[in-house]
Amino acid sequence: MLRLIGVGGVIAYRALFNWTTPAMFIGTLLVGPVFQLVFFAFLGRQLAVGSDHFYIVGNAVLASSGACVFGGVMAVSNERRFGTLGPVLLSPRSRTAVFLGRALPYAANGLLIATTTLLGGVLVMGVPVPASALPSLLLAFAIGSVSCAFFGLALGAIGLRFRDVWLVSNVAVALMLLLTGVNVPAAALPDWVRTVGSFVPITHAAEAARRLVAGGPLGDSVAPLAAELVVGVAYAVLAGALLRIFEAESRRRASLDTL
Amino acid sequence: MNLVRLLAVGTWLHVKQLSRSPFEIATSILIPLVQATLAVYLFRASPQPQALLGAAVGAGLMGVWSSVLFGSGGAIQRHRWEGTLEILMLAPRRPVLVILPFTIATAVTGTYSIVATLLWGRLLYGIRLTFADPLGFVAAVPVCILSLGMFGLLLASTFVLMRNANALANTLEYPVWLLSGMLIPITALPGWTGPLAAVLPTTWGSRAVRAAATGGEVWGPLAMCLAISLVCLALGALALSYVERRARAAATLALA
Repeated sequence: MLRLIGVGGVIAYRALFNWTTPAMFIGTLLVGPVFQLVFFAFLGRQLAVGSDHFYIVGNAVLASSGACVFGGVMAVSNERRFGTLGPVLLSPRSRTAVFLGRALPYAANGLLIATTTLLGGVLVMGVPVPASALPSLLLAFAIGSVSCAFFGLALGAIGLRFRDVWLVSNVAVALMLLLTGVNVPAAALPDWVRTVGSFVPITHAAEAARRLVAGGPLGDSVAPLAAELVVGVAYAVLAGALLRIFEAESRRRASLDTL
Repeated sequence: MNLVRLLAVGTWLHVKQLSRSPFEIATSILIPLVQATLAVYLFRASPQPQALLGAAVGAGLMGVWSSVLFGSGGAIQRHRWEGTLEILMLAPRRPVLVILPFTIATAVTGTYSIVATLLWGRLLYGIRLTFADPLGFVAAVPVCILSLGMFGLLLASTFVLMRNANALANTLEYPVWLLSGMLIPITALPGWTGPLAAVLPTTWGSRAVRAAATGGEVWGPLAMCLAISLVCLALGALALSYVERRARAAATLALA
C-alpha cells in the first residue's frame, strides 16, 4: 500500500509535469510567490498594518497554496482531460489510495516553495528570521502543505463531476488570501471570516509559524499545528469520499470521459 | 473609416466571445471582488485614514491588468489552439489589425472588474462613489482600457516568441500591480523602482484613474499613458509582422 501511494504518486507527478520546463517551474512556483509576498509586505508597510515579519512568515506559509491546490486539482482532473482516467479507474487497487498518494508530491513541492519564498522574502525585505526557529518553521510549512494538498485533491474530486473545476480552484486560491488571515490581522477581520478561515488550510499553520518567529517555543505552536493537521485530515477524508461517490456516479451515468 | 470599423467590429466580436465564457466572466468578477474585500479590510485596519474608494478602484484596475496579462499574453497561442490562427493570418489586412481587437477586448472585459469592485464597495461596505473628477473618471477609464489593449498587443507579439511565456506571465501579475501603484503609491517603494514604473503604461493609467477618483492630476498622466501605449503598439506591430513572416517561412504558424 505504501509503495502504491508513494511510487504511484511520484510517477504521476512526473508524468503531469513532464511537459513543463525549469523556467516554468522557477517562474511560476518559485518567483511568483516571492513577488506576492513583497507586494503585501509593502502594502502592509504603507498602511502600517502588521510588521514585516507578519507578512513574510504568513505569505511564506501561504506560498504553498498555489502549487498544492492546483496540483491536487490537476492530479485528478487532468487524468480526465488527457484521457487516462479510464485506465486509472480500471486498476484493481484502491483508487482512494492511488489518488491520496497523488497529493504527497505536491505537498513536498509546497514545502520547497514555502522555504524558498521565506528565503526570498527575508533577502528582499531585509528582515532576518531567527535561525533557531527554522526547524520548527519547516514543520509548520510541511503540515500546511499537506493540508493544502488534500484540500486541492478534494477540489480535484469535484472535477470528476463538474466541468468548471478550474474556476473553483482559481477562486479558492484567491479566497485563501482573505480567509487565512495571512494578509489582514485577525482582529481586523469580521467574525464570520475568521470562522470560515478556521476550516481553511494554512490558517492555523500561519498562526503557528508566526508564534515560532516571535520567539515562542514549539510547545506554544502545538495547538495550531494540531488544528492544521485536523483540517488536512478532514479534507483527505472528504477527498476520498468524493472520489468514491463521483467515480460510482460517472460509471453509472457513463460520463467518465465527458468534458 | 474601414479601419475604425474593422477594429470596432473585431473588438465587439471578441468581447462577445469572451463574455460567453463562464471562466472568463467569473475570474474577471469574483477574484477582483476578493481582492477588493481584502483591500477594504486592510485600508480599514490602517491607523491612518484611507480613501476606501481608492481601494475599490485599485482592486478593479488590478483585475484589468490580470485580464490583459493572461488574455493578451496568450492571445496568439489561444488562436493557435482553437485552430483559428491560420484563418486570421490569411485575412487581407495587416496582422496587427487582426490581433489588436482581441487584445483590446481582453482589456474591455477587464472593466467588469472595475464595475464589480465599485458596486461591491458601494453595496457591501457603503463606500460613497463620489469621484473627485467625474468627467476625468469617465474619460480616464476608456483611455486606460484602450491603452492597456495596445500594451497587450506588445505582450501578445513578444510572448509568442518565447517558449516560456506562460512562466513570465505568471510572474508579472504582482510586480506590475506593485510598480504601477494600483493599491499603494509608488513613493512607498524603493527609489530604484521609479524608472521601471515610469516606462509602464499601467503606472500612468492607474495614476490617472485613481486621481480622477480620489483627487489629483488626471490629464497629464492620461496623456502619458496613451503616449507610452502608442509606442507599445508600434513595437507590437513590428514584432507581430516579424513573427508572422518567420512563421510563414518556416511553416510553423500552427505549431506551438
